[in-house]
Amino acid sequence: MSRLAMTDEERYHFDLRGFLVVRDALTPDEIAACNASIDQFRDRMIFHEQGSQARGSGAFAAETGCGELWGLLGLPAPYRDPFRRLLVHPVVVARLNELCGRRFRLDHGPWLITGRRGMDGQRLHGGGEPFSPADWYHQQNGEIICRAVTVAWQLADVPAGAGGFCCIPGSHKANEPAPDGVTGLEDAMNLVVQPELRAGDVLFFAENTTHGALPWRADHERRSVLYKYTERAGARDVGPHFTPRERYGEWTDELAPEQQALLYGPGLHTAGKPLPYIDSDGARVWISEVRQGPDVRRGPKGAAAG
Amino acid sequence: MNAEERYFWDLTGYLIVRGVLSVAEIEEVNRALDFAAAAVAARKEPTGGSEELAGSPSRWYHGENLLALPHPHCEPFRRMLAHPQVVQRLVRMCGKGVRLDHGPQFNNAVKGTQGLILHGAGQPHRPVVAYHHQNGSSLCNGVTVTWNLADCPAGGGGFACVPASHKSKYAVPAGVRNCADDRGAVVQPEIRAGDILFFMDGAQTHGTHPWRNEHERRSVLFKYAGRTAVRAHMDLASPEVYWEEEVVDGMTPEELAVMWGPFPGDHEGLRELVCHEDGTVRLAGDAAAGADGPRATGGNE
Repeated sequence: MSRLAMTDEERYHFDLRGFLVVRDALTPDEIAACNASIDQFRDRMIFHEQGSQARGSGAFAAETGCGELWGLLGLPAPYRDPFRRLLVHPVVVARLNELCGRRFRLDHGPWLITGRRGMDGQRLHGGGEPFSPADWYHQQNGEIICRAVTVAWQLADVPAGAGGFCCIPGSHKANEPAPDGVTGLEDAMNLVVQPELRAGDVLFFAENTTHGALPWRADHERRSVLYKYTERAGARDVGPHFTPRERYGEWTDELAPEQQALLYGPGLHTAGKPLPYIDSDGARVWISEVRQGPDVRRGPKGAAAG
Repeated sequence: MNAEERYFWDLTGYLIVRGVLSVAEIEEVNRALDFAAAAVAARKEPTGGSEELAGSPSRWYHGENLLALPHPHCEPFRRMLAHPQVVQRLVRMCGKGVRLDHGPQFNNAVKGTQGLILHGAGQPHRPVVAYHHQNGSSLCNGVTVTWNLADCPAGGGGFACVPASHKSKYAVPAGVRNCADDRGAVVQPEIRAGDILFFMDGAQTHGTHPWRNEHERRSVLFKYAGRTAVRAHMDLASPEVYWEEEVVDGMTPEELAVMWGPFPGDHEGLRELVCHEDGTVRLAGDAAAGADGPRATGGNE
């Protein structure tokens, strides 16, 4: 089976389950090059507060916060080179051309998720209901159109039962919301799987597949590098030109806040900048909500350097 | 947005709300359009070779953004931008966080001005403009709101569309697209000055019939989008503008191809990537890898 083209079997599994594993996409030398770059910048790793990503579920909380290393494409040469190769690796391009459509784009990332035995997991999130246009999954006339696909490169083995990525197969098509007991694992209904992965494998998953991470239980470090792709016209990160003034100019300062609210740039991850939402009853318009999304360019703020 | 409007919108892909502007408000907008009319220019638009759509070149405003005109001319357009009758419906059509993607645009057709070939459809599915309905909520990523400052009588030309085409799973036949043989699928609804028209721009098959009225057409189009969909502002999308310098510095053309910001349209810099049998990834149309080719990718092939 060629890895340079998506097969009918792969289409079937991705459409059915919402994720796909391609084995042995990297050679041992390529894995070693990525790991050497990571080791070189270990002092830049940041760590989430213990329990913060469990979001109230004891099943995902362990002993230490999850570690991350951001800015991999912008590391000094030659340390950035292995991650730039992964950016447009043929195994990725062959599949994203189909899943996200030709001229797909990197929306944000990549970043490393890492930690030792006892590292927290992350509560399950995402799903087909409520419908999220940012990561819309659609299949029509033989074509898959998935607005948001995460590609997770594995730089260390993930044996069965070790923890790490987990998901609910088929949940990208769910028309009912996932119960709290499922996303928190208090009553998972035997729906959650944690696929066995090996170093060099690459995992593709639809962002609206209900997914998360189980606490890490292996003796070696978890090392998974995530690239967040989207279709060409999709925007999850807001990018550098976001406010009305940044996009249109100073004349927007004259506008009422409700008018300005319609001139913000696209995207949901606002890097902590306030994004006003408006509503109306037909007679008046008001600011109904102010959203502040995470910074997916530089990584989470407030996390401690390791 | 009441149940009747939601039904009509979901069924047909467009919606007309009558009498939103008073006579005095229409006159105010028309004074601003009189000011802007000097920047209206003719341009030939595709008609699919159809006599049904033929005419003199279309007439669109090409000046600075109408929202940025000098006072007081910008003021009516700014009120239209976030008008309660618009916002009330848009947050249900496009979802929370609806935004203006581009526009407003001003169409100023005169008698004999050509039509525009019908475009947009449910097939192929294009998420940047597509329509979806689930569990009582609907979402359309591309909605145009057209403010009408002059009457558009039935049969007089102007906005035309194929009701229900936003749900079609088949390619649009040529005879429908150019209106030469539409078998009754195309309608040109009667619209009066002061009415606003909502339509699914891109999901619904729509276009323009030639203008046949003695008076000129005066329609102002605001192009709204869902929070995560992008159709305009190409100038903000190139990799060196969209990313920090250290992220894209020294990247190969193939790597840069996936670093463009969101934008759906054609641009010479926006190239597809193709996997070759030798294990290289190259820009579509480029020759096989040479000494200056992309980074070698190992793989296990």
